[in-house]
Amino acid sequence: MPMNAFGLAPLLLVFPLIGVLFNGLVGRRFIVANRNTGEKWSGWFASVMALSAFMVSVLLFLSLRSHEYHAEVVHLFDWLAIPSAGFRVPWAFQIDTLSVTMMLVVTGVGSLIHIYAIGYMHGDPNFSRFFAYLNLFLFFMLILVSGNNYLMLFVGWEGVGLCSFLLIGFWFDKVNEKGEPMNANAARKAFVANRVGDFAMILAMALTFWSFGSLEFEPVFSHALEMFESGEMVHFGLFSASLGSVLTAVTTLFLIGATGKSAQIPLYVWLPDAMAGPTPVSALIHAATMVTSGIYLIVRSNVLFEIVRASGATIFGIVSSPDLVAYIGAATALLAGLIAFTQFDIKKVLAYSTVSQLGFMIAAAGMGAYVAAMFHLITHAFFKALLFLGSGSVIHGMEHGHHHIHAHNHGKEVHGTPQGDTHHEEDNFDPQDMRTMGGLRYRMKTTFIVYMIGALALAGIVPLAGFWSKDEILAHGSEHNLIVYILLTIAAVCTAFYMGRQLKMVFFGEPRHEAAAHAEESPAVMTVPLMILATLAVLGGGLNLPFLSQGIAETYHEHPGGVFLGLEGWLEHSIAAFELTEEGVVHLPETPKVFSPGVAGISTILAVGALVLAFYVVYANKPKTAEEPDPLQSTPIWWFSVLPLNTLYMNYIVPGFNRLAQWLADKVDWAFWHDFFHDRIIRDTFVGFAHFAANILDLKGVDGMVNGAGSLAKRLANWIRQTQTGYARNYALSIFLGTVVLLAYFIFMAN
Amino acid sequence: MGILTIVTFLPLVGVAAILLLKPLKRESDVLIKQIANVTAIATFIVSLVVLFRFDKSVAGLQLVDKADWIPSWGIKYYLGVDGLSILMVLLTTFISMLAIASSWSAIETSVKQYYVFMLLLEAGMMGVFLAQDLFLFYIFWEFTLVPMYFLIGIWGGNNRVYASIKFFLYTMAGSLLMLLAILYMGITNNTFAVPDLIAGREAFANVQDWLFLGFAIAFAIKVPVFPFHSWLPDAHTEAPTAGSIILAGVLLKMGTYGFLRFNLPLFPEAAVKFAPTIAVLAIIGIIYGAIVSFAQTDVKKLVAYSSISHLGFVMLGIFALNEQGIQGAILQGVNHGLSTGALFFLVGVIYEQRHTRKMSEFGGLWKAMPVFSVLSLIVVLSSMGLPGLNGFVGEFTILLGSMGAASLGSSPWIYTAFATTGVILAAVYLLWMFQRVFMGPLDNPANMKLRDLNRRELVIMLSFLLFIFWIGIAPAGYFALMDSSVAKLVADISATIVAMP
Repeated sequence: MPMNAFGLAPLLLVFPLIGVLFNGLVGRRFIVANRNTGEKWSGWFASVMALSAFMVSVLLFLSLRSHEYHAEVVHLFDWLAIPSAGFRVPWAFQIDTLSVTMMLVVTGVGSLIHIYAIGYMHGDPNFSRFFAYLNLFLFFMLILVSGNNYLMLFVGWEGVGLCSFLLIGFWFDKVNEKGEPMNANAARKAFVANRVGDFAMILAMALTFWSFGSLEFEPVFSHALEMFESGEMVHFGLFSASLGSVLTAVTTLFLIGATGKSAQIPLYVWLPDAMAGPTPVSALIHAATMVTSGIYLIVRSNVLFEIVRASGATIFGIVSSPDLVAYIGAATALLAGLIAFTQFDIKKVLAYSTVSQLGFMIAAAGMGAYVAAMFHLITHAFFKALLFLGSGSVIHGMEHGHHHIHAHNHGKEVHGTPQGDTHHEEDNFDPQDMRTMGGLRYRMKTTFIVYMIGALALAGIVPLAGFWSKDEILAHGSEHNLIVYILLTIAAVCTAFYMGRQLKMVFFGEPRHEAAAHAEESPAVMTVPLMILATLAVLGGGLNLPFLSQGIAETYHEHPGGVFLGLEGWLEHSIAAFELTEEGVVHLPETPKVFSPGVAGISTILAVGALVLAFYVVYANKPKTAEEPDPLQSTPIWWFSVLPLNTLYMNYIVPGFNRLAQWLADKVDWAFWHDFFHDRIIRDTFVGFAHFAANILDLKGVDGMVNGAGSLAKRLANWIRQTQTGYARNYALSIFLGTVVLLAYFIFMAN
Repeated sequence: MGILTIVTFLPLVGVAAILLLKPLKRESDVLIKQIANVTAIATFIVSLVVLFRFDKSVAGLQLVDKADWIPSWGIKYYLGVDGLSILMVLLTTFISMLAIASSWSAIETSVKQYYVFMLLLEAGMMGVFLAQDLFLFYIFWEFTLVPMYFLIGIWGGNNRVYASIKFFLYTMAGSLLMLLAILYMGITNNTFAVPDLIAGREAFANVQDWLFLGFAIAFAIKVPVFPFHSWLPDAHTEAPTAGSIILAGVLLKMGTYGFLRFNLPLFPEAAVKFAPTIAVLAIIGIIYGAIVSFAQTDVKKLVAYSSISHLGFVMLGIFALNEQGIQGAILQGVNHGLSTGALFFLVGVIYEQRHTRKMSEFGGLWKAMPVFSVLSLIVVLSSMGLPGLNGFVGEFTILLGSMGAASLGSSPWIYTAFATTGVILAAVYLLWMFQRVFMGPLDNPANMKLRDLNRRELVIMLSFLLFIFWIGIAPAGYFALMDSSVAKLVADISATIVAMP
């Protein structure tokens, strides 16, 4: 029987919303009543809601299969509608292979992270608030990926930004040594950086509406294609321009939006700071899901990018917008890869690595390798979530170890479990500093094994997931854009190197701090999700193996929907397989998969070489103590530890803005407009006018009326005076009555 | 007596009742408060009756109440409502109701006079939005000044006298020019009825630039449009909480409404001609208001300056002169009333307890007042234009309107791009405010024992939030209310543009 569960799409949002309401309104009471069972209720309720959303995604996936992958739109109700202007944006769901892919990743990885967080957040005073935020995040992320129009995408886009803000600032009262509220600052920085991207998104959407008469994906894309085929210009109001230049603007604005959300040059600076949030948040929002929204946006808009590519339009004659996307992505991949060398915080290394990997995806999307971008998005979600959660386990273990010594020294018994990042330390022990780690492979065996898998997958070692997806991107680069290919290959080498360095510093050698020597393995509620993710990081490459799908292509054509043809065949139903030429749209039957043994060989050799270099040469016996400098600290590589863009923003632009605001507020607004302009221009003119009216104008004709009004004013004024004395009010009141008199006077004169 | 007359003058019944208490020897503060609240609620309910009897498919005035008043001068008593004003009417009764409810424990001196002025103010504002005769309109317009003047001057902060006089002088200065324009038109056409004047606008078309400016300056001061804004920070900061709520919620909208009701239909050619200039001022206001907000140390002043920025969006929408722009502008007027009204209310809640509004005095309030903080966050996000809440709907529609505005020439996107920077700046100043008040460590001992919202305050906040969410998620019904009237106005102006040489 064909499956039809499309009508269930709204449940995707309903489940997380119920979770938000439960934990937002009553979750806390359960915890207050009984800490342990309350936490279970709170955490598992949220996790079950996430799992339910995952089940809905699976049902939607099955429904698509039994409907030959035809996209379905589920309309809820109209959101914005101005009938007379032909403007209408609905709340509607786009169920197609692309959105369902995102849903599966978001809810699947999301559910695992929810469960992990039950262990990680144990004992936090705001336990239920945390889960309310996590569910709220799922809610917005699912709006982002399931909407059938740009405006709904934008609802999710800003909504996940809000959740990111809330979760980075989850421990908002934490201050650093200088007394600065660094978590609150990081949260605000993330929101503002994202708003810069959102600025571009709003402009892009407004331009899209006027150019194509809609904000819904299908009408926009089909209209744009029609205009491309007919060679029509874009006209609205008094504005007119060629289709190519309008779409260049739209796609470039989308790129700016993506640089904010997906942390690319020049807006990536917020992501490393975002690590101030609890580690499950770093895994879910700042690695696996939210930060990939920019890639989703570009892949979703692939038709627009392809039209620009075919039209030959460029930005100021320099570069076409899809090429710019590819260059930005590749440059970010390399820059962030280099910065990752110089980091000591275990999570910051992963953060820069995320920026770098997002660069790979963006570069792939820019080259038109949309499937490769999505493939890497999925595998990265697996292994980067794994690495972050693994690092959370490490931090958790280090805190345990540190707490152990601490309790030992004070001869006290410790109640409850120490809290991940919440733990305030008197002796400035930083449980995230890799220099204090070392040798953890003995004390945290499970964590070590899964972390190793994640790291090797990220480094692109055969046959783990990262190898296949990264290689597909590199293969595209080698065929389409050599500069991008070279940049990405160097970035891939960097990746292997900094992961080798991290593995060595964290798990190998000898413990460099008492805490590392006493670290303890995390509980099962944390390690089981890690194992599941590790399995996915091993097998994830199977989603789109280069050899597999070609062999079964014929079977697929006989039994559409009956065979899983890999990501390529699956996404083909959402990502238009066409080529645009001067003559118009040429639909392609199937996009051939790119696999180049040469490229794969080179990158494998380089990756293994970089790992070996890090492991057995540079960090072979170093560092031995927590105080010893990094062997690379005296080399040019360390220049990247001074983060160029962040310095520019924080040292120049932000203080500059502060000074401008202060000057405008004090000098221009207050001293000039408020005082000078008011006193000299408004008040003096008014007083002058009053004198003129009193002395020059003849008021004899209205004497009686003035007297009447005057006695009324007196009585009113007396009544007021009961409460307050002073003549200022009478002054104003007389002005008012004077106006009435003037009014009457003019009318008399007129007659 | 028509429903519009009832809804306009119903507050005066409350005034009469309060004044009658003394002769009846039953005067007590609680009773006065109860009468005022009941009157405000009743007025709100009557305005809902207006809404139910309102036919949204009609473009012109409806529910008209009309009678000759001073026939020899062609002056009429003329009330009517249409798509341009229906939301303003509802906003007025709604905000007045909440403002009066919010005063319950905040006002302890001269309770009687206070509520009399509040109700007088409500009647005046209703008259402004309903009057369709310019003479009647002008009387209501000036009348609203008086109770507001006393509300600031008696129940205001330390600098209240300066602020109230400044408020009075500024608005009065603008109004005089409008009065001259009104008299000129009324005398030329021998009628003050707005529909008749629109029909007979040929008679003063040759001087319409001057008449346009006469009205525009009065309204621009009220909005306030940069650079006529310098009365606003004083008035807002010094006014009692309810005064600020009404000032931001309704009084400023009288300015934007004036542009829509009078400037566009009476002087369409001038409106088209001045559109780029006003749009530039609006955009300066958006950016300037936001930057100056950022530098404030007093949270109430910050909110006050943010109004300049928000109202800049409304002005930009109006002078986009298309459906999106104007409907967005009207709705954004409502949105600003809700979110800024709620912000002033929230500021009032902590001011009542701490008697300071310096942000440096606060920090980490989230720990002490969780409910208050979460609701504040939602209102801040609404003010920031977070999609899904009301502010975004208005802001986006306005920006959409300005992107396609023929009135802004062949490159309207330049205007839109500058205006959209307001979205970034709003996040900058609002999040900075939110952080300073609610985040960071709770280290000021004075803040440790702050009580969270009580039941009355919670009900008021939830009333604001109901509409903040409703307009954010399902605004289609709100647009439908104004669609016909706005479409007609736009068609009228477009016809003029086409006819222009």
